[in-house]
Amino acid sequence: MAAITFDAVQKIFGGKLGVVALARLDLAIADGEFVAVVGPSGCGKTTCLRLVAGFEYPSAGSVSVDGRRVAGPGPDRAVVFQQFALFPWKTVFDNIALGLRNKGVDKAEKTARVAKAIELMNLEGYEAAFPHQLSGGMQQRVAIARAYVLDPDVLLMDEPFGSLDAQTRTTMQEELVRLARLNPRTVLFITHAVEEAVYLADRVAIMTRRPGRIKEVIDIRSVRVAEQWDRHERIEDVMDLESFIHWRTHIWRSLREEKSGQDR
Amino acid sequence: MTGGPDQRLTRLEVAAYGIAGLLLFLGIWSALSWSGAVPRQFLPTPYDVASRFVQLLSTPFAGATLQQHLASSVMRFAYGFLLGAAVGIPLGLLMGWYRALDEIVSPVFDALRFIAPIAWVAFAALWFGTGIGGPILIIFAGAFPPCVINAYRGARFVSRPLIEAAQMLGTGNARIILEVLLPASTASIVAGLRVSAGLGWQSLIGAELIVASTGVGFMMVQAQLNISTATVMSAMAAIGLVGLGIDVALRSLEAAVRRRGFA
Amino acid sequence: MKTSPKRLLCVLVGVILKMSRRFVLGLATIAALAALWYVATMPLDLISPGRFPSPVDVWIALRQVTFTGYANGLLYQHVLHSLKLVVFGFAVAAGTGVPLGLLMGWSRRAEALINPVFSFIRPIPPLAWIPLAILWLGIGDAAKVMVIWFAAFVPAVINSFTGVRTIEPYVIEAARMLGTPRFRLATEVLIPAAAPFIFTGLRLSLQASWTTLVAAELVGSLYGLGRILNVAQQDIYPGMIFVGMACVAILGWALTRVLAEFETRSLPGMQTARVYQ
Repeated sequence: MAAITFDAVQKIFGGKLGVVALARLDLAIADGEFVAVVGPSGCGKTTCLRLVAGFEYPSAGSVSVDGRRVAGPGPDRAVVFQQFALFPWKTVFDNIALGLRNKGVDKAEKTARVAKAIELMNLEGYEAAFPHQLSGGMQQRVAIARAYVLDPDVLLMDEPFGSLDAQTRTTMQEELVRLARLNPRTVLFITHAVEEAVYLADRVAIMTRRPGRIKEVIDIRSVRVAEQWDRHERIEDVMDLESFIHWRTHIWRSLREEKSGQDR
Repeated sequence: MTGGPDQRLTRLEVAAYGIAGLLLFLGIWSALSWSGAVPRQFLPTPYDVASRFVQLLSTPFAGATLQQHLASSVMRFAYGFLLGAAVGIPLGLLMGWYRALDEIVSPVFDALRFIAPIAWVAFAALWFGTGIGGPILIIFAGAFPPCVINAYRGARFVSRPLIEAAQMLGTGNARIILEVLLPASTASIVAGLRVSAGLGWQSLIGAELIVASTGVGFMMVQAQLNISTATVMSAMAAIGLVGLGIDVALRSLEAAVRRRGFA
Repeated sequence: MKTSPKRLLCVLVGVILKMSRRFVLGLATIAALAALWYVATMPLDLISPGRFPSPVDVWIALRQVTFTGYANGLLYQHVLHSLKLVVFGFAVAAGTGVPLGLLMGWSRRAEALINPVFSFIRPIPPLAWIPLAILWLGIGDAAKVMVIWFAAFVPAVINSFTGVRTIEPYVIEAARMLGTPRFRLATEVLIPAAAPFIFTGLRLSLQASWTTLVAAELVGSLYGLGRILNVAQQDIYPGMIFVGMACVAILGWALTRVLAEFETRSLPGMQTARVYQ
């Protein structure tokens, strides 16, 4: 596990006179913390994730993981994509195993670790299936299993449940919470669904509209612990709680301000 | 208004119209030939052609039977086509991945691409005489470009998240090319193979018309010199059938690839 | 604010660097190949002159064919002759193929009627028609036009057909709802809607026309670029072969460019379907 640090990060697309996606972003994510980033569309939250993933480089400032500057993509910062990005020609097993093969893990250990990840994500029986044979929810589970099996320092999730229907989404959110308790690690979770962020995260960072910077960071964890949200197993029960509603509405209003500024 | 793209016909109707069209065509042909409007020597009846075709299967013409000629043609085609694919597909994939390679090779490729494959026949004759190298060069010139182009397009336009996922998983370049680019480009590559086969088969015929001593193309030239129109037409039919067979085979490969879920 | 000479230098460097890397690399490669060609054939004599011409050989051949004449004519005469046939054959093929394709796309009856015969003719490679054409029409221009017609006709039909079939039904329905008479429907709805595909078909037709003509001229002709290649091969004149092939390539490219220009001009604001093959 490792900490993520955004230090005075700026990102401009398309040369010096291009689009300023991130104006000046400072954010520190502690070791083992689950941070959700919410913001109006186009605010640059996905860009944040891509900077940590190593798919983009900052125009100014630095992005570091565990004290070291990010220099490119790699299995230490596993990514779960919105579009799943599974390899359609590989079976579920092979999809999950590729990262381990790249690391040179020997066959016995590889099989064991993949089996564990499959069990963790409730995919038993589907090892030999192909992605197109699975539902959206199951495909995303494969993607998550693929990320988890790497035992990454950091888990980066880019609107992972965005392409799923409402019911599947809820199920996946509950599973992710269960997973995060079982197997905690540093998570950067991008979403535009406020309730999802409040339900899942330790802290919620609210971004301004483009050019993006962090407007406000809300500590949800202390609320969750104080109000004992974990006592309730189902999402709908948690979402019924006054404390939940309070913070959800707070974040909504904050985003509304940003959005109306955008529409002006 | 009758017809229109939104009105489908029943299977029976399609068959009926089809047969009608075919009969009409054969009828006009036979009429022209029978009546002597066109001399029989230049336009044999469909029956003449058919019987000549059968005859050629057992009686040699210009040195061999029809199937023997076909066999040597197909063999030449296979060499040229497989060579074109074996060189073209890897090159296309590599060009799709390594931008520098693309920038170096592309201008040369674009310049050579516009040379009609058959135009290579002069150099082919000069370099290989009547050896097999000549036709193979010409077939290669025809079959090579579509393989490169389609492999290139397949590799260049692989969905970005797939490549990023592979990179995130720490996949090295060689493995990315073999295990991500290649499978993702399969549909494009197979489509390219179809075009490539068509051009290659066509180039083969052209080559045989000019620099060969066996094969269906050569057979046609001899038949033309002997004013044996029925033989020419039989050869044309044979060429068409083989070409069709190759295309059908590749088309079913394409369908199989699509079914297996390759993009 | 930088001083004048420094600023000028910066601008100059900027201009040089701004030339896309692709362009520079491409130029460099061609320059390197050209240098290699020169060195291999002249001082080092790595390649025998009987096999591949040196740049000087090519230059001599070019001068000869342009000013003195080769294979019964000067270069421009051969080129003109070839071009004339291609353009004529292409025009006839397009003029017959596009309407037929449109008809087959529009009327399922026409499609059902014509398809079997068309599918019969289609797999026969255009070059395979050459012996028959020569048998019927001799080695003159008529035979060439016939072969070109077969070559160019097929892509025109297929693509026009596809063009009509891919029109969304509601476009036609809207036109009919507005009471559009048949002819106007064809000219103002069908053809514009199918235009990208029609142009793809024309592009393929033109390529096929050119390729087929060169082949036909190679087999038997009195004039044309193919004839040059033929005679040069018999004379074992590599320099002239090179000139012939270069002309074939350049003209092939030029024809494509002309068609592309025509295409962009007649489809303002529409996305042209850029497909390679």
